[in-house]
Amino acid sequence: MAQLRQDYSEFVARNAEVVVVGPENAQSFSSYFQKEALPFVGLPDPGASVLKLYGQEVNLFKLGRMPAQVLIDKAGVARFVHYGHSMADIPANEEILTLLDEINSK
Amino acid sequence: MSRVSLNQIAPDFSLPDYSGRLFRLSDLRGEKNVLLVFNRTFT
Repeated sequence: MAQLRQDYSEFVARNAEVVVVGPENAQSFSSYFQKEALPFVGLPDPGASVLKLYGQEVNLFKLGRMPAQVLIDKAGVARFVHYGHSMADIPANEEILTLLDEINSK
Repeated sequence: MSRVSLNQIAPDFSLPDYSGRLFRLSDLRGEKNVLLVFNRTFT
């Protein structure tokens, strides 16, 4: 989350909105986003409706959801899909920013 | 469990954001790129 916030202006410069979906309720989202001054769209999804729709993996052994990222272009097409296999498995921002440059140049 | 396919239209959804405003993915179509981040938990 901190990694994303650091580069948020880079995403904005590339006409991208960062949308965070998580299992917490609205109150947890609100307090965390305020505490960390996160500029993203925050979508509480305690019923996991979007998580199910997008197939975020639930690792039963580790008793948790694995991180996942989906980059969707202006046409609504998924251009990058990453399903993490561990908590730390998050793609580097540079990888996504480079892809955004590519998408925007078309 | 289904997964999103690359280079296909991402499934549309709508959810209220944490301040209660409705967010609909398709509202951004033609406007903005979206990085959708599935977060595990706030730690």
